[in-house]
Amino acid sequence: MASIAAAQVQEVRSITRIERIGAHSHIRGLGLDDSLEPRQVSQGMVGQKMARKAAGVILQMIREGKIAGRAVLLAGQPGTGKTAIAMGLAQALGPDTPFTSMAGSEIFSLEMSKTEALTQAIRKSIGIRIKEESEIIEGEVVEVVVERAAGGGGARVGRLTLKTTDMETNYDMGAKMIDSLLKEKVQAGDVITIDKATGKINKLGRSFARARDYDATGQQARFVQCPEGELQKRKEVVHTVTLHEVDVINSRTHGFLALFSGDTGEIKSEIREQINSKVAEWREEGKAEMIPGVLFIDEAHMLDIECFSFLNRALESETAPIVIMATNRGITRIRGTTYRSPHGIPLDLLDRMIIVATSPYSQSELKDILNIRCEEEDCQMSADALTVLTRVATETSLRYAIQLITTASLVAKRRKAAEVSMEDVKKVYSLFLDEHRSEQFLKEYQDEFMFNDGSGDASQVMMEVSQ
Amino acid sequence: MKRKTCLIETFESCENYDKKHRNIQSGTATMYKNTIWYHTLLDAEKSCLKEEKVKKIHYKFEDGREMVEEYNVDTQVLLRRAWKVKGKLGGEGKWHVEIGDPIPDAISNSDCAEITECKDQPQVFRRNTRINLEWRIRNLPYPIETYSISANNDERCIVIRTTNKKYFKKFKIPELERLNLNIEQANIQSSHHFNTLIIMYKKPQQLLDMEKEWYEELKKVKPIKDIPNDCKTQ
Repeated sequence: MASIAAAQVQEVRSITRIERIGAHSHIRGLGLDDSLEPRQVSQGMVGQKMARKAAGVILQMIREGKIAGRAVLLAGQPGTGKTAIAMGLAQALGPDTPFTSMAGSEIFSLEMSKTEALTQAIRKSIGIRIKEESEIIEGEVVEVVVERAAGGGGARVGRLTLKTTDMETNYDMGAKMIDSLLKEKVQAGDVITIDKATGKINKLGRSFARARDYDATGQQARFVQCPEGELQKRKEVVHTVTLHEVDVINSRTHGFLALFSGDTGEIKSEIREQINSKVAEWREEGKAEMIPGVLFIDEAHMLDIECFSFLNRALESETAPIVIMATNRGITRIRGTTYRSPHGIPLDLLDRMIIVATSPYSQSELKDILNIRCEEEDCQMSADALTVLTRVATETSLRYAIQLITTASLVAKRRKAAEVSMEDVKKVYSLFLDEHRSEQFLKEYQDEFMFNDGSGDASQVMMEVSQ
Repeated sequence: MKRKTCLIETFESCENYDKKHRNIQSGTATMYKNTIWYHTLLDAEKSCLKEEKVKKIHYKFEDGREMVEEYNVDTQVLLRRAWKVKGKLGGEGKWHVEIGDPIPDAISNSDCAEITECKDQPQVFRRNTRINLEWRIRNLPYPIETYSISANNDERCIVIRTTNKKYFKKFKIPELERLNLNIEQANIQSSHHFNTLIIMYKKPQQLLDMEKEWYEELKKVKPIKDIPNDCKTQ
């Protein structure tokens, strides 16, 4: 009995685990209404109405899915919400549309060529919806147990017990499966289906047998019968796979070489051609449907001239996704050349793009964003502290002000206060320098730093060369 | 008018076909030769390998499917039958074992399989003997009274239920299905030892005859003599 109790305590702890907070985790959509008009504050988005409206039009274009190979450039100063708009677009598209996000510098790798990396990214952004027979586990959850293996920080071990009206089985789970179970907040009494091949979890509802467990169940709680018969069934399921996944399945060498599988390296162009013709065949027979997705390249100015000319051609193929790029550069050198061009992107590619500009936020918008971030980071902030923080954001940068939220809340916690006060913000403002004050400091004390010959020009020369 | 007579004729031939089926079920000795299964076996491209006491036959069917059978040379019992199952998206495909012990994976599957049954959960193995079709369900600790095993001819399967609602399994009998035979409750026997439930189904005469005949037929396939030695260095 003791062990069961211990297991249950473990279960409670792991399910109420804190989710990690990222820089854009407060974004839940583009914040548009049904007629694609932007709301002032909605779904974590604030202001930037023109850009969001433009994104709404692009969203509609993607949903209709007819036009392949459009490119969109999000251009604006740092911290004006370019990445946020891209993330919002991804959220608004939903999980069924492939959305690949990469940084421009990701393509520079020793393992594969630049064009191969770009091709893979492009093929990751095109989905194929296909019917396939698959092993489905369908049952009512009896117990979820997640434990850490003995030894410091060992791999987590998970066990899931499922039942139907006729049988009961225990399952072992891998780390990914545990994560997605926790993410879906699966608990005892839920009726779920799990796709055995992909590990996709679908919550069908709560079992009728558990209908009286709680007095306060949410409005949306749906009650379903406990399934009967065998737990594991073969069912026709509609899968969405990306072209890249099909490439990988068909390119992996079996037998002895499979020992070294894992990273795929480069994929031969013959395989890609075979798959393209096969997919075309499936589409003609009505077996599969193509879903053009979105490839988002952040920091697009980090791509070089070869990539740009490759993209020029790739965008013209009929199996091209919609490419969204973001850059914060003005007129600058195109990487790999000595030519200067707007946004660091050659004019011929710019000509194929529609450009969406983002503009700096106003003071009240900054306040709204900081407020949203405070909520996201679970931090109570007094009104005057928020005003100070907004001042900081206008005078330095929004990113720096956001950094101060959690640090200030930690300072407030140290003095056991429930709310972050103005003093806390001031304290962290003095503790952590922003970019401007740091520069000032360096200018003052430059002579005392290492490797400094006193002339400011030397470092500039270095920069030119390294570019 | 001509059309009509023609229709009647086809109708009659249909009736004949039905009669044939009835004949099969009543157990006329050589009726298995008319089944689709026997014909596909005959038409398949076969190759044979002999390794000590095991005779391995590889079938390549006209529709592209592949099957491997392994026979014990002394007892003429089928030790293993496996089908190659290819995914719709392509790739190499995996071997699905119909009869015999599963083929151990060269690569541990633990990385890619995100959810698997625990090691201590019941597992079904097929192992046929000369006169019986056998299912062994290991890791079933409950006493023999717990199980009820029944033939279900609507779904053409055997159903195992447990009174404590801990285990439930439906399985088809492909051997009987291929010969269009019904499942007879009277042919089912079961026993329970060492946490293993063994279900035996007496092979009907049809199946016995066919297996015997087919083994004779397989003698025509000449085993490959010069097996390339995969460990030879150049």
